[in-house]
Amino acid sequence: MHDHRTYPPGDLAIWIFILAELLVFAIFFAAYAFTRVGHVELFNTYQQTLDTNAALANTLALITSSYFVMRAVAAIREDNIKHCVRWLIAAIVMGLLFLLIKSAEYAQHYSHGINLRTNIFYMFYLSLTFFHFMHVIMGMVILASVAFMARRGKYSAADHTGVHTGASYWHMVDMVWLILFPLVYVMR
Amino acid sequence: MKYQSQAVAKPYFVAAIGLFVGQILFGVILGLQYVIGDFLFPEIPFNVARMVHTNLLIVWLLFGFMGASYYLVPEESETELFSPKLALITFWVFLVAGALTVLGYLLVPYATLAEMTGNSLLPTMGREFLEQPTITKIGIVIVALAFIFNIGMTVLKGRKTVVSLVLLIGLVGLAVFFLFSFYNPDNLVLDKYYWWWVVHLWVEGVWELILGSILAFVLIKTTGVDREVIEKWLYVIIALALITGIIGTGHHYYWIGAPEYWQWWGSIFSALEPLPFFMMTVFAFNMVNRRRRNHPNQAAVLWALGTAVMAFLGAGVWGFMHTLAPINYYTHGTQITAAHGHMAFYGAYVMIVLTMISYAMPMLRGRDAANSGMSQVVEMWSFWLMTVSMVFITLFLTGAGVLQTYLQRYTDDPMPFMVVQEKIEIFYWMREVAGVVFLLGLFVYIASFFIGGKEPEEA
Amino acid sequence: MSQTFTKAMARNIFYGGSVFFFLLFLALTFDTNSALPERDNRGAITEEVARGKAVWEENNCIGCHTLLGEGAYFAPELGNVYTRFGNSTEAIKGFIQSRPKEGVPGRRSMPQFNLSEEDLNAVAEFLKYSSEINTANWPPNIQG
Repeated sequence: MHDHRTYPPGDLAIWIFILAELLVFAIFFAAYAFTRVGHVELFNTYQQTLDTNAALANTLALITSSYFVMRAVAAIREDNIKHCVRWLIAAIVMGLLFLLIKSAEYAQHYSHGINLRTNIFYMFYLSLTFFHFMHVIMGMVILASVAFMARRGKYSAADHTGVHTGASYWHMVDMVWLILFPLVYVMR
Repeated sequence: MKYQSQAVAKPYFVAAIGLFVGQILFGVILGLQYVIGDFLFPEIPFNVARMVHTNLLIVWLLFGFMGASYYLVPEESETELFSPKLALITFWVFLVAGALTVLGYLLVPYATLAEMTGNSLLPTMGREFLEQPTITKIGIVIVALAFIFNIGMTVLKGRKTVVSLVLLIGLVGLAVFFLFSFYNPDNLVLDKYYWWWVVHLWVEGVWELILGSILAFVLIKTTGVDREVIEKWLYVIIALALITGIIGTGHHYYWIGAPEYWQWWGSIFSALEPLPFFMMTVFAFNMVNRRRRNHPNQAAVLWALGTAVMAFLGAGVWGFMHTLAPINYYTHGTQITAAHGHMAFYGAYVMIVLTMISYAMPMLRGRDAANSGMSQVVEMWSFWLMTVSMVFITLFLTGAGVLQTYLQRYTDDPMPFMVVQEKIEIFYWMREVAGVVFLLGLFVYIASFFIGGKEPEEA
Repeated sequence: MSQTFTKAMARNIFYGGSVFFFLLFLALTFDTNSALPERDNRGAITEEVARGKAVWEENNCIGCHTLLGEGAYFAPELGNVYTRFGNSTEAIKGFIQSRPKEGVPGRRSMPQFNLSEEDLNAVAEFLKYSSEINTANWPPNIQG
């Protein structure tokens, strides 16, 4: 099956799924924004307690990982399986870095007795970021299985839909963070 | 009928229909008790009639699922059923246990039944839909295990299709989640939290896999559309069902003492629960439009399409109407709930079982692929009678519910429950009329099995 | 869009999505579990209250009534009946005790359960305990 650089890249099913995912996140973001209107003081106050440096580091980690994923796709386009796998692994490592930084943030919060029920801001902050966190894990699992199959020679320059599919999902996860970060951490 | 052992499905279907009649008779009794409050009191108080009505529903649907499985799995697996004898034994065990339980409900006071059956050793009685004595519940587990074993072994020794696998996952899920009915803590909040792991994760979870796989099977057979296409869509539908339905459980956690973040999680995810039903409707109509043959069993096709539409309306639309927390705050536990519940159960589960029976019965009775034209026409009349009357039942209960919500919950000067019930009585009378028409439709349905037998069958 | 939509991808989304959301549900359940002690009034669950729950179940009260909005819709909500009856267990007991055996002619009737004094106390205490669970301000008013 030839890859004719058709749009969108990757299996159509994943795009239906990606759109569904974006819909859920959009509803969550809208709910956040809507709720904030009624609790501006509270939201502003507790937003200050968030670690923007950690969030910045996480943003850089995810952007870098997306770059690595793009390099992986470029590599397989040139039939370079070895490099494709390496770039994918690098992307996964960046994902792992994200998870570690985020986990450290959560540990900080919990040590101060903060949890889902503390107040409405923390409910949204923890729900949104944890939901995203789990998507990062899911994305890493997908990238890992793509890397695994690439290693076993399942992809080539002529046929690498699976790599496109996995890459598209990862870019979605990155993009969601790029909205989440300013919305929750920065915007006042 | 391709495999002899598919014949075991027939007693299951016959029992299902018989119990369905019992369920509706009691439904009509309940509807009358709503307006003539002491009808049959104290011999059959409302709560007894209700547990008979709901338990018969669940048991006949289970008979239907089992019959459907015994019919479709050998055909899908391209091999005879592992043990037809076991299937017949489990049939009788289930039927007798069910009959004894219902007789128990009717003949002795519930507290006496609890004592007689040793409920205090492991108390599981007295909760909605789970009124069965603990020993009956244990019996259900044994029957379920035997059934899953039989079906599982059949799939193992034959061709493994997506339809069979999805059905099997659904059935295993059904059995596993039923185990939560044995967990009955003193803590009311915990009790309710896990009770929904049986009820929600059944009807808004694993039962949707059973529904989807049976629908897929019938569509494959009646439209001739390529299996690959149908199975792919089956995966999409059940993916959406679980992706929305699992966290969607949270829409039962708003007001029972659970943390308030469930109002957000539950609202967002349960608002999306209509999606798989929407996809199912699009899918069903699409497959029929793209059909490669005109199957002689038009009644079955009608049931299949009707299932998708009514499930979408009853479960999807009516469910959505009261799923968001700010709305549910006012409608929780009102006739809105009853309205949604009736159409959802009928549209999704009653209709899929009737779809399967419609498809399979002609062959189980040694006929060709379909009944005679006359028989099918009568059957289709019963489809319309039952379906339209159910729509009216739902509309009338929705009217009752809206008025009840306003008078008892929303207004600044709320009225007591019993006062409001009197004010909405007109809706209950209308509902009862619709209910009687439904019963008539059911009789027409039964008649369709005995009419037109001497007519030439559709080839 | 000319890309094919493979069955395998749909299958992967089903398995992946189901596992993902089941794990998420378990995580939320775990958190709910830690949150419950401060909401579910478990400190009030004495042996008598536990007996009361058993009486409630053995007589299938849920078959006519709702409790925290769940159950049957034939008779009133009882999650807040303790409050509605003026914070009185005696009033609850009195009501149950006074149900006529043959019912009220033409009206919805509650059976006479012939409960012992012990069981009456227990079920009243159970309903008192239920009324003090933190149900996020539900029901909206005293009528239930």
